[in-house]
Amino acid sequence: METQTSQKTLIDGSKLMIEALAQAGVDTFVAYPITPSNWMYKYGKERFPQFYAAPDEITTFQWMAGMSAAGRLPATSSAFPGIALMVESINMAYAMELPLVVIITQRLGPSTGSATTGAQGDLALLNGIISGGFPVPVFSPSGFEDIWELSEKAVQTAVKFRTPVFLLTSKEMVMYQKSFDLKNLKPIKKISRPKPDIKGTYLPYKADKTLVPPFIPLGDDNHLVRITASTHDEAANIRKNDPEALANTQRLKDKFMHRIDELSVYDLDHEEGAEKIIVTWGITTDAARDAINLLRSSGNKIDLLIVKSLLPVSPEIYDILDQYQEIIIAEENLNGQFKEILFGVRPVNQVKQVNKMGNMITPDEIVSAVS
Amino acid sequence: MTQNKNTYLTDKKFPFCPGCGHGISINALNKALQELNYGPNDVIVVSDIGCSGLIDPLFATHTIHGLHGRSPALGLGVAMGVAQKQNKKVIAFIGDGGATIGLQHILEAARRNIDMTLIVLNNLLYGMTGGQISGLSTQKYKEIIDFEKDVPPFDLIQLTHASGARFAVRVNAPNKIKETLKKAIQTEGFSIVEAASLCPSYGMKRMNDLLEVVEHEEIMEHDRPATKIVDKKVHSLLTETPVIQPAFQSNLKNRKGIIIAGSAGGGAQSVARFLALAGMHAGLETTMKGEYPITVGTGFSVAEVIFDHKPINYTGLETPDYFIIVTEDGLNKIYSKLHSNAKIYIDEKLVTEDLKNEFSNLIAVPFSKMANRKSIALAAAAYVLNQTGLIPVEALKEAVSSHRLKDIFIEVIDKVTQQAV
Repeated sequence: METQTSQKTLIDGSKLMIEALAQAGVDTFVAYPITPSNWMYKYGKERFPQFYAAPDEITTFQWMAGMSAAGRLPATSSAFPGIALMVESINMAYAMELPLVVIITQRLGPSTGSATTGAQGDLALLNGIISGGFPVPVFSPSGFEDIWELSEKAVQTAVKFRTPVFLLTSKEMVMYQKSFDLKNLKPIKKISRPKPDIKGTYLPYKADKTLVPPFIPLGDDNHLVRITASTHDEAANIRKNDPEALANTQRLKDKFMHRIDELSVYDLDHEEGAEKIIVTWGITTDAARDAINLLRSSGNKIDLLIVKSLLPVSPEIYDILDQYQEIIIAEENLNGQFKEILFGVRPVNQVKQVNKMGNMITPDEIVSAVS
Repeated sequence: MTQNKNTYLTDKKFPFCPGCGHGISINALNKALQELNYGPNDVIVVSDIGCSGLIDPLFATHTIHGLHGRSPALGLGVAMGVAQKQNKKVIAFIGDGGATIGLQHILEAARRNIDMTLIVLNNLLYGMTGGQISGLSTQKYKEIIDFEKDVPPFDLIQLTHASGARFAVRVNAPNKIKETLKKAIQTEGFSIVEAASLCPSYGMKRMNDLLEVVEHEEIMEHDRPATKIVDKKVHSLLTETPVIQPAFQSNLKNRKGIIIAGSAGGGAQSVARFLALAGMHAGLETTMKGEYPITVGTGFSVAEVIFDHKPINYTGLETPDYFIIVTEDGLNKIYSKLHSNAKIYIDEKLVTEDLKNEFSNLIAVPFSKMANRKSIALAAAAYVLNQTGLIPVEALKEAVSSHRLKDIFIEVIDKVTQQAV
């Protein structure tokens, strides 16, 4: 017996993502329009208690950082050209340890490329976006349920780890409409910025065992707050490379790596006896699901790994991949960016790549890559 | 952090070169705040990079220290964030070097007129990197150093005034800075104070020399209330997406894909959405996506719709089963996708001998006689549904029934389907 009647609607991924972010606690949206994230802008304008039309992407990010430092929870959406302008500011917010969420709708590059053509070409940028080799959390939805759940996860992660978080999606994922049953959406828990109760002097970058310092907003009536993007000690005094300041900088990486299991999200579709596995992420997942069905229906034993938390790479991913004789990694970019993150640029015998640009990878293209 | 009594400054020694003018402005701000009686917890000092950025550790208030040239934007963000708290004051510092990096931010803050004060410490040059000239180096100064004399400086006071700043002031005399800052801080809205600041290392050695080369003092005001920040009431986006309970049956056997190819303004995108909704009214799974040039008002407009009984994963449509082609723009766009196994419904006016020879499966229909330019895609879609029975025409009528132009749309659908009968 069906306990709940279906609630099917025709909906797009942009709407689900904005709604999920709002339900999860994002209260401010700042953006400069850019194709293919314009639907986010449109929905964001309706959905968030505060919305700001910034004059450019650098301003966008600076306003977000300022508002986050004052205790609000901001988000934005953009595409590569806008993200490129934000890079220095992203580093700033990362060093200041300010929670905020950045949606990237990937489109075909390089440069202006094709604004209305989808892609999965910005993962490599995110892998190195923080100067010095620091990881930044990147979640990539593989479908509408993921858009919902990972948006919540992104907000949760931003607050819990005091960090910018990326939601890496693409034109095709957020700009098509689909019949979708809203009852598949799990309830979202609203995340609030925690209000730590601190007695005595507040050291803004002194962390406990979580390695995440408690956050008090600028303008607080009881504690003076110092925030800085330059190399600093626990009190936010700017220091050069002295041991305390370097330890604080090292902590920016360690705070993620010592709890990486809390960031890890993936789906493994496993079939007993499979020795081959297709690995994919983002928009190519749709084709990979069809490819798996085709392969299995013709008698192949093969598994599917959908990676949803791309960065930092979870050790679980290697534990899984170590079980297989053949690994086929499918993603819509020229070089195989996730493959290169996992295995480097040197060809690896058991790893095959399915890459493409300008169009989505088709199920047949994945099927024909499997030996 | 150590805090002296009756001061907004820490006990840290000023890091500036002997004779540097920045210290004068910092002391003036400290005095101004004392006289205005703000609590240290009410003041947020925003700084960036360069000699002016060295102020960060000096203030025993809230502080935030960011990127070169960005303090006006970061500060405005903070001002937006604290706007709903009582009596908070954001004071951002920038140098003349940062001011040209962040010129856009300064003008934007002036235009928005949200309560904050920007202090520009103009020492006419880049003191931290070797004394290079800045965009705020004055004409007289450039004549003395004989460099870029033909390039005029930016006048931040004129620029911010023109952008809507409530209070924009240039002050040169050190003894006027405190009073000017007091007035700026008391101004509700965006205020900017550009203070001449001596750089003894690379510029003028004596205050008198400096005063000879600065731009004239200026006060420009607007009688314009500060912009208030409020949280607006919002509601879920999902309440406005209609839930569809299927009331019709479809004859669909297996997955089918349709391409609608038309021109901008011809309704191809909305019709694709109507078709997708019609499919859902007939109990089908569906996906719909559109493609059109960035210049949305001209050229082709192509949309794809896929129907299936099973959930649809991959949404690409390499080999559509049906084509609905209503304009030449549309035809040109999808021409390479045409194939001999599809049903190609095409406006009769677009059929050429070459096209007929290439595709024996063309179905020429007088779409352009059935409806005007704006309704042609809908007329064509209704025609095709009526011919193929893919989805009942009644489901399409149900799909358009919540649109504000439903009467017109239903008339178009009825006309086409009745003619066809």
